[in-house]
Amino acid sequence: MTYHLSIFMENRPGKLERITKILAEHAVNIRAVSLASAGEFGVAKFLVDKGETAYQALQEQNITVSKRRILIILLPDKPGAMHELLKVLAENEINLEDCYGFVIDRGKQAALVIEAEKYPQAEGALREKGYKLLSDEELSNL
Amino acid sequence: MFWDKTMETMEEESIKEMQLRLINETLTKAAGAPFYRNLPVKEVKTLQDFTAAVPFTRKQDLRDHFPYGFLRTDLAEAVRLHSSSGTTGNPTVVFHTIGDLEKWTDQVARCLYMVGVRKEDVFQNTMSYGLFTGGLGFQYGAEKLGALTIPIGPGNSKRQIWFMQTFGTTVIHILPSYALRLYSVFEEMGLDPKKDTKLRIFLIGSEPHSEELRRQIEELYGVKAYNSYGLSEMCGPGVGFECPYQDGMHLWEDRYFVEVIDPETGKAIPDGEEGELVLTTLQKEAMPLLRYRTGDLTSIVPGRCRCRRVHKRIARIKGRADDMLIINGVNLFPIQIEKTIMKIPGVGKNYLIEIKTENFMDKLYVKVEVDREIFEGTLAGLTSLQDRITEELKAEILVTPTVQLAEPGSLPVWEGKAKRVVDNRGK
Repeated sequence: MTYHLSIFMENRPGKLERITKILAEHAVNIRAVSLASAGEFGVAKFLVDKGETAYQALQEQNITVSKRRILIILLPDKPGAMHELLKVLAENEINLEDCYGFVIDRGKQAALVIEAEKYPQAEGALREKGYKLLSDEELSNL
Repeated sequence: MFWDKTMETMEEESIKEMQLRLINETLTKAAGAPFYRNLPVKEVKTLQDFTAAVPFTRKQDLRDHFPYGFLRTDLAEAVRLHSSSGTTGNPTVVFHTIGDLEKWTDQVARCLYMVGVRKEDVFQNTMSYGLFTGGLGFQYGAEKLGALTIPIGPGNSKRQIWFMQTFGTTVIHILPSYALRLYSVFEEMGLDPKKDTKLRIFLIGSEPHSEELRRQIEELYGVKAYNSYGLSEMCGPGVGFECPYQDGMHLWEDRYFVEVIDPETGKAIPDGEEGELVLTTLQKEAMPLLRYRTGDLTSIVPGRCRCRRVHKRIARIKGRADDMLIINGVNLFPIQIEKTIMKIPGVGKNYLIEIKTENFMDKLYVKVEVDREIFEGTLAGLTSLQDRITEELKAEILVTPTVQLAEPGSLPVWEGKAKRVVDNRGK
């Protein structure tokens, strides 16, 4: 299962820095990060190269962290690429719970990270259209 | 200026004689209630004998013997029930007969008349109606006195002001904190209550407040503001009230026997020194209470009042002997908050209650640590947990708190007795 780390944190100075410190100390490389806030508190999501190492380290430091299943979809880094991809998901009535992206190779390749409601359907529909999904191993070798 | 001249100006010796007679009547009546079935005495010869022989009754006793343990009449004789908030642990329930309501009404009318309210007045009651006694208690008293009463209840400041202006309200019953808040609404509307209303008397109470705050209200509105004291266990409002001299609240000694004790030792405390107020009902029929510990800290104002009433005066309430909180006039205990939140899955081990003053009103914050084990990683899950805690607390304590979710281990950990309530009001 491909996952990112979802972390509960209070929306205050130094809270995020505490997380990045733990990751840095364990030589974990951050691929992408997203933040969502509900005012006083929020959730930070980290996509990292060594998920298990990071998860253990955060747990040991009493951070409220949970693994969230995701799909990392590779797509060309060009105008309209995300639209093409979302069309596939929309046509199959797949709702996204969270979504963010990052560039892997400028002008060539990007990745879109999604949390979806229906994983088997989402995966099937994307593969059918020729999309490649990044595995855990590939993620750590990026 | 007396509503009941005989009772109000009775001499000290006569009051004591009457109290002794009423205490003996009350002992007989009380023995009819399951809780008081085995009283150590049936009759006392002196007031000292009474305090020496009869043990205190505590709020916890009312809860433990819920719902009918203190009711001495048949349920058929009771016509009204008032209750404190809460379903965790038993609420405090008080019953009234027709006679009790008549006495209570008369008592409130006596208070209102004392501060100059007359039948020509228009009385606007901004207190909550319903189970809270501040609404109905004043309503009946003001009607008995003959004033036009507006049972508007709390909130909606613009509507409050509209009623005041339209019907020429002269007397208002209001929480002191709300009086300040309401003034800022007058200002926002470009109105000056001194010129734009006929307000002349404010009856304030239900929450502890300072002399400075009273003077501020009087200056802002150009009125006289009178402090009042009451508690549902005794009937509600009207137990004690200031006279025009505003030097302590006369506690009606034909209705209550007054003691002030050291909350630690239970020993009597001399006049002028602070202790816990203990009251015995002298005329209650449905639910007499003997030596009831109110939890309120006050002192007896020494000496005799210039208004000629001999009834003892109690000083402004200084605080609580227990941990009861008063939030915008609503009474609650921290344990109610603890029991409510600890039942909710997703709530961690630690929490903190903080009370602040915002926009002149009390604001309750409940900071709750999240349970790490149950976090499944979504913001939606957290906000729904936050909403659930808010809703369940609101249902329990009748106050809407601001619930803040905190990281596990982020709230202070206490060695020994936890200090989970931080009261920053007025700071």
